[in-house]
Amino acid sequence: MHKLLLKHKLLRWESGLIAILLSEIVIFGILNPKFLQTRVLMGSINDFISICIISLFVTFVLITGGMDIQAGSIVGLTSISLGVLWQDAGLNIWTAVVVAILIGALCGAISGFFVAFTGVQAMVVTLGGQFLYSGLALAVVNLSSSTAFEGISGYPKSFIMIGSGTFLGIPNQVVIFGVLIILGYVLLHKTNYGRYVFLCGINKKAAEYSGIRTKWIIMSTYMLSGMSASVAGIILTSYLGSARADLGKELTLPIITAVVLGGTSNLGGKGGVIGTALAAIVIGIMRFGLVMAGLSTQYLDIPIGVLLVVAVATRTVGSNTKLMKAISKRFKFKNA
Amino acid sequence: MKTLKNALKAREISSLIFLITIFLLVGAINPNFLQIKNLFLIFNGSIVYVLLAVGIAFVIISGEIDVSIGATLGLSAAVSATLLRDGNSWIVAVIAALIVGATVGLINGIGVTILKVPSIIMTLGINGVVRGLSYVYTNGKWVENVPYAFKSISQATMLNSLTYFFSGALVVVFIVHMLLNKTGRGRYFAAVGDNQCGAQLIGIPVDSTKIKAFIICGIFAAIAGVIYVSRVGFVTPMAGNGYEMKAIAACVLGGISLTGGLGTVVGAAIGAVIMSSISRVLVFLQFSSDYDNTITGILLIIIVVADALIQRRVTENARRERLSARTLSDKGGYNNA
Repeated sequence: MHKLLLKHKLLRWESGLIAILLSEIVIFGILNPKFLQTRVLMGSINDFISICIISLFVTFVLITGGMDIQAGSIVGLTSISLGVLWQDAGLNIWTAVVVAILIGALCGAISGFFVAFTGVQAMVVTLGGQFLYSGLALAVVNLSSSTAFEGISGYPKSFIMIGSGTFLGIPNQVVIFGVLIILGYVLLHKTNYGRYVFLCGINKKAAEYSGIRTKWIIMSTYMLSGMSASVAGIILTSYLGSARADLGKELTLPIITAVVLGGTSNLGGKGGVIGTALAAIVIGIMRFGLVMAGLSTQYLDIPIGVLLVVAVATRTVGSNTKLMKAISKRFKFKNA
Repeated sequence: MKTLKNALKAREISSLIFLITIFLLVGAINPNFLQIKNLFLIFNGSIVYVLLAVGIAFVIISGEIDVSIGATLGLSAAVSATLLRDGNSWIVAVIAALIVGATVGLINGIGVTILKVPSIIMTLGINGVVRGLSYVYTNGKWVENVPYAFKSISQATMLNSLTYFFSGALVVVFIVHMLLNKTGRGRYFAAVGDNQCGAQLIGIPVDSTKIKAFIICGIFAAIAGVIYVSRVGFVTPMAGNGYEMKAIAACVLGGISLTGGLGTVVGAAIGAVIMSSISRVLVFLQFSSDYDNTITGILLIIIVVADALIQRRVTENARRERLSARTLSDKGGYNNA
């Protein structure tokens, strides 16, 4: 039976994720009936919107065979730059938003440049980027008249509405997430650019010989992830009503978890936006549901860490035919 | 002459020169920096990073990565601090911490080798789990009231200079360096990291070498945890958060290649001293220590990029030389491509 399912690939990764998601909703619904209200479920996205948005585009980076552990620090840098640009430089809030997104793109471009053009491992460069951008965020705080811990607040209502308003009864954050999923999906799976991204990850040399500018493609994926981090920073700033330098500090684990749980291989060449989106929601709902079920937020890393390890382990063990054969042999043996 | 040339080629020597240059430069701007007392303060303050970096160096040299050591440090610090607070002898506390570290390392190692989970993913997941466990263990509270006798060990110095801890760490680094470079089994780590299939072919037990590397890494993190307790005197549930990144950065600064197979623990220790001296350097240059991370990041990127460019040039030159040697000598073989 198991073999049959595996053979016919009925157990596709995405359907597995949907199954996990549904069982999560059922279990948390039983634990706490309030959880099932649409308003609560929709509103829960406030807690994990940044994971969702950033992981969508970090997927691109991992597909090229890279690694991005700096996105979390760009969230804080964007948030505080946005606040300083608006409050201390006196820019219009929307101009500030555009500049903030450009800052995110620039941060991604710097790291991406080093990864693509010098051949240094992505992990090291983005580790440096993580230090650099979180340090710069603290430096930007010094430019403002506010202190680091109070943040910059008092934004116009129109800006606050990004994070807390609704559109046709659906929270804006859900709408933004939906739009970005479609954007990411089309970009990765329906355009030439997306094919190039995959090719870079599958065989960089072959891609280069067939005329693809792999270096620019790789650099652009880091720019995309930087931009998505700044979008997340803007939404968080709007939702919390305050710009802070330390936002997004704890996001590295959940982001990478979401991307890898979504079926993207960290060796490159395999993955998809839909899987990442589903995995991000699975993680988000799990965090939210566990908190509603009465677990303290500090313990949340345990189930997420376990989920990450178990998911990847089952996948690698599953694809290892030798091991699977050994297991099924033993299984038969026991039954007989 | 040859030994001198070899010494200059060694990557840890260039990090040492870099460290000395920084010290001299800062000393030129602010002579107070070069006071013996201040230098000893820097060395003594770097002990936790030195131990973490030496531990993780094993894992990195064997071609993997471990981002769970920050959490391992936190958990083993919490466990040992609780035991000490409750009146147990320090031996019990140290052993308990070591067990914690070795267990985490063993789990990481098994996950990476037997379950074949990529090490960055495995240790990232375990990082979350162990961090959560230290919340569970401490109930989210700080562990305080560590006995004064234990705290005072970290202050005790030999001849008013280096603490016993730091001198001990120096000895350990030296011994580990010798074990890694002069014994056959020690060379296994570099062999596995350099060329895993090759190592397997010549009969090196790849999986158990990797598991050993992870266990050693966990044990070093645990020792760092105990010393953290002694130095700081209390443990928060977030203790050691982000230290893993600093330890990795220290290794990179010390000339260890993240692709594995290249580098020494001495380099890691030097890198750790550079890392932890940055914040003090900033103080002496009258910058705010807020810029600590910024400088670390810039330094890391510059060093790694420069290293990559130099390496590329070296290999290009080597290839060119080989090519010209082949064309000049009349052998005309293409087999050495």
